[in-house]
Amino acid sequence: MQRRLTLLLAVLALAVVGLLPLVAMVVTSVFVSGKLTLAIYTKLLSNPLQYWIALGHSLTLATLSAVCATPLGVALGLLFGKTDLPFRRTLTVLLGIPLLLPPYVLAICWFNLLASGGLLAQGAPVQLTGLLSHALYGLPGCWWVMVSALAPAVMILTLVSLHAIDPRLEEAGRLVARWPVVLYRITLPLVLPGILFGGLLVFLLTLGEVGVPMFLRYPVYAVETLTQFSAFYDFGAATAAAMPLLLVTLLMLTLERRFLRAKVYNLRPSTPGRRMLRVPLGRWRIPAFLSVSLLGAVMVVLPIAALVVASLSPFAYWEAWRQAASSLGRSLVLAATGATLLMLLGFFCGYLIRTRTMRLWRALDTLTLLLFTLPGTVIGMGLIALWNRPGTAFVYASAAMVILAYLAQYIALTSRITVATLFNVPQSLEEAAQIAGAPWLARIRHIVVPVGLPGLVGGWLIGFIFCMRDLGASMLVYPPGQETLSVRILTLMANGTPSLISALCVMLVAVALSALGLLGLFFRTAAPRR
Amino acid sequence: MGLLLLVVIVAIAGMVWTASRRNGNVVVVYVSEDQVFSEPILKDFERDSGMRVLAVYDTEETKSAGVVNRLIAEKANPQADVYWANEPIRAEVLRQQGVSSVYRSPSAEGIPDQFREPHGYWTGFSARARMLIVANGSVDKPGSVLAYTDPRFRGKTVIANPLFGTTTAHIAALFTVWGDERAKAFLDAMRRNDVHLASSNGDSADQVAAGNFEFALVDSDDVYNRRKQGRPVEGIYPDQDGGGLGCFIVPNAVLLVKDSPHPQAGKKLIDYLLSPATEKKLANSDAAQIPLHPGVETPVDIRRLETLKVMSVDYAQVAAKMQAIQPLLKDWAGR
Amino acid sequence: MNAIELRAVTKAYDGRTAVADITLSIERGERVALAGPSGCGKTTLLRLVAGLEVPDSGTIRINGTLVAEHGRNLVEPEQRHIGMVFQDLALWPHMTVHGHLDFVLRYDKRSQPADRPSRIREILEMVRLSDRGRAKPGELSGGEQQRVALARALIAKPTIVLMDEPLSSLDPELSLHLRGEILRLHAELSFALVYVTHSREEAADLGSRVIHML
Repeated sequence: MQRRLTLLLAVLALAVVGLLPLVAMVVTSVFVSGKLTLAIYTKLLSNPLQYWIALGHSLTLATLSAVCATPLGVALGLLFGKTDLPFRRTLTVLLGIPLLLPPYVLAICWFNLLASGGLLAQGAPVQLTGLLSHALYGLPGCWWVMVSALAPAVMILTLVSLHAIDPRLEEAGRLVARWPVVLYRITLPLVLPGILFGGLLVFLLTLGEVGVPMFLRYPVYAVETLTQFSAFYDFGAATAAAMPLLLVTLLMLTLERRFLRAKVYNLRPSTPGRRMLRVPLGRWRIPAFLSVSLLGAVMVVLPIAALVVASLSPFAYWEAWRQAASSLGRSLVLAATGATLLMLLGFFCGYLIRTRTMRLWRALDTLTLLLFTLPGTVIGMGLIALWNRPGTAFVYASAAMVILAYLAQYIALTSRITVATLFNVPQSLEEAAQIAGAPWLARIRHIVVPVGLPGLVGGWLIGFIFCMRDLGASMLVYPPGQETLSVRILTLMANGTPSLISALCVMLVAVALSALGLLGLFFRTAAPRR
Repeated sequence: MGLLLLVVIVAIAGMVWTASRRNGNVVVVYVSEDQVFSEPILKDFERDSGMRVLAVYDTEETKSAGVVNRLIAEKANPQADVYWANEPIRAEVLRQQGVSSVYRSPSAEGIPDQFREPHGYWTGFSARARMLIVANGSVDKPGSVLAYTDPRFRGKTVIANPLFGTTTAHIAALFTVWGDERAKAFLDAMRRNDVHLASSNGDSADQVAAGNFEFALVDSDDVYNRRKQGRPVEGIYPDQDGGGLGCFIVPNAVLLVKDSPHPQAGKKLIDYLLSPATEKKLANSDAAQIPLHPGVETPVDIRRLETLKVMSVDYAQVAAKMQAIQPLLKDWAGR
Repeated sequence: MNAIELRAVTKAYDGRTAVADITLSIERGERVALAGPSGCGKTTLLRLVAGLEVPDSGTIRINGTLVAEHGRNLVEPEQRHIGMVFQDLALWPHMTVHGHLDFVLRYDKRSQPADRPSRIREILEMVRLSDRGRAKPGELSGGEQQRVALARALIAKPTIVLMDEPLSSLDPELSLHLRGEILRLHAELSFALVYVTHSREEAADLGSRVIHML
């Protein structure tokens, strides 16, 4: 009863937070001047060829990004999580930095670096800089920025999944095969749900990305449709234009479920207290370290250096602090609150999906992913349509709207991370507590959460990062005078001095890194407990 | 876990409490003018009036989720009192959408009629002029926007993406003044003359300053700022000769939101923004904007409006035309 | 009144019948061993009695009370006052031995908070783990882990204890020793024991009645 009621409450919360705004927008798109009509959709279908070409561009970019970012992220996750690579903790943090910045800002970093007149142009041969500058615009540049922005997400998801593996399963494999075979045939299949979700994440985030393709001049569907919407201020058209993206999401979800169906494993409990097995790299240790360091230098150090160099002016940081101290504090509180609520709601949604307690588990999973795919504009408009009423003014006029935007947009992250975490928490642990007489909430609190804690903390961390750097929906719903740091950076970008903008970006990275550092400490102290 | 939940509850309660701070002596303004220029003005208003200003600022060229959309979305239950637009086209769109209400500010006395909505739905102030930025030492200097089609400058010109910002407005203005056929022919001729596209006015200005192109059509503040940075450029007000079209002027525009929560406070802010004192500040800032009130003191580099030949346009027509030519411009920019 | 009564109980998973039309009664204090090859439904039967599975048809009574019938549980597992030792032991990796036992007593409505320390001491003495109260499962040997699982199953003084192959992973010497412990505890506490094993020797040792499932 307790379980059913709690899960039902979670479903209701998700319906209020996510489904209702979506319904509000869909209604806007089918009711024009008070009449039910599909005119907007028929217009969408009869769109000029360029829209469908743009959709093709979107799918190409999303596929290429996912195909490259996923194996890269998994490889890094394996190297840092399962080998004895030197300085792996430092390298994990270093390679995680791009995730802290909105991809649009990363695109600007690369522009500062590679464009004619950029940092690289001041030292490198002209032919090389010309070639790189040319490659920056269009598909190659967009692909590179999205891969460098999102591969860290896959890396973190892989690390979190690896933590949950029972080392005995790998030990059993090691008795008959070498490590590469064990990794390929035992370890990777066990972390498959986490990896697949990482790939899906990259695909969907790239599909809906607007800032990067717009800046680097690659005509993708999201840009084409939102430009159209902004020219005609037609919210119904914006919603209708998002439908093809949602259809693609449904297709990807179906493929993912079919692929995973035969590959879901119910595991025996991990041996308590045993540490993760590490693969000795032997003579490959130094070459691996050098390769990863080189990757880090290219993917992270170069663009961030461009950012830092651009920020080096006597008063940039003082001015940045003066301009944005309140936004920074606000961002931290909102991101922390958002991440906590995301994890709370995401946990129960993920639990429902994992245990299939109610028949609507599939619908719930689908809804969270559709919300994730929706452009922030559409979610923002839906939230305004729903909450901007006299009766709910106390909510609409407050920063709680930003939290609602976070919940609607990112619930898929924490829900799916919970599912992946719970895959590695043996059901018998909860059953033993149930037999012992503990009610459901007590079992969750005292058994499931503590055992799954590293995964859940990883989920909180991902939620925090995404909330911290969010622009989409929160830009539309933040209360006047209470903008977040990401919004502040974007509003100052027009005519703010480059040094000021860069200093603000460095502040964003530094603050998020500090949060990462604190959590890193947690992982270090939490590990021996297992 | 209990502590965590307590913290969350306190945070949310705090957020909801902040909503109550909207009562009292406040004014809510949505701003499309660049924050670096507008924020100091609003802070001065706070200091001078004793009112608290709560602002929402617009974002860069993407503008796919700008404050105009927010204003339209909030129409049924407005949150803003005032909208400060960086060009009158947005103000016109809002008038057409029924978001603004009539207010004739006493501070608008002296502002030419061309820059005021006839019924009082919005009022222009502090303008930018569309200018040609030219590299110092250029032998051939353009004197008109038609220079984009001059074979002497083939492949040597650049213009900001016409899908956004003041460039769109300028092209739409040409459509209203020349008619569709002539304006389309001009665009086609530009393409045939190998004009390059930049991402923004600022980018165009930088490219010319770097010597990559001969000239670009940009806003007056882009020229002013490059010169202030010591870059080797000069600005030319186009089409100033006897038979010339005149220079396209893009004023800021301010409007009172219909059914706003604090209309009296909104009117006070509008009066402040439209005052000659504010125009003087904006002229002397890096915004380098041209006052519309006659006789306002300006820096040497900024021409007074009365000394310029101004393109005569109806901004309502320009707004309508802008929306109509979007598909054409997309096609043109995509080629 | 019997401790456990199953009447015409059937359970199938994805079209495959795990338990087919079983009728079985187990008296109070009786020791019953369920023996049979892997996949014959022994564990399923145990889980049905515990309430962790729901019978597709048939009825289950515990101490005379109807607890499950035809596709639904009438009494949830946490309310059946059953002790269970899982095949994989299901020890909670983050809790000490003491913590395991305290957890069970906390949700035993019949126990008083003041009595908990003494009851924990008592059961730890019974299973010979008095000096290991602060250890976590990861710090215990295989046999010690088994005894913790036993202690956890017994501390609330259930009238029924279910054991699912609890000694299968132990060496013969330890297994023999623990069988003796189970019999001794049974003699002291007089619970009905249902013991699942695929070892005929274990079944004969621990069950006063052996039921062979096919």
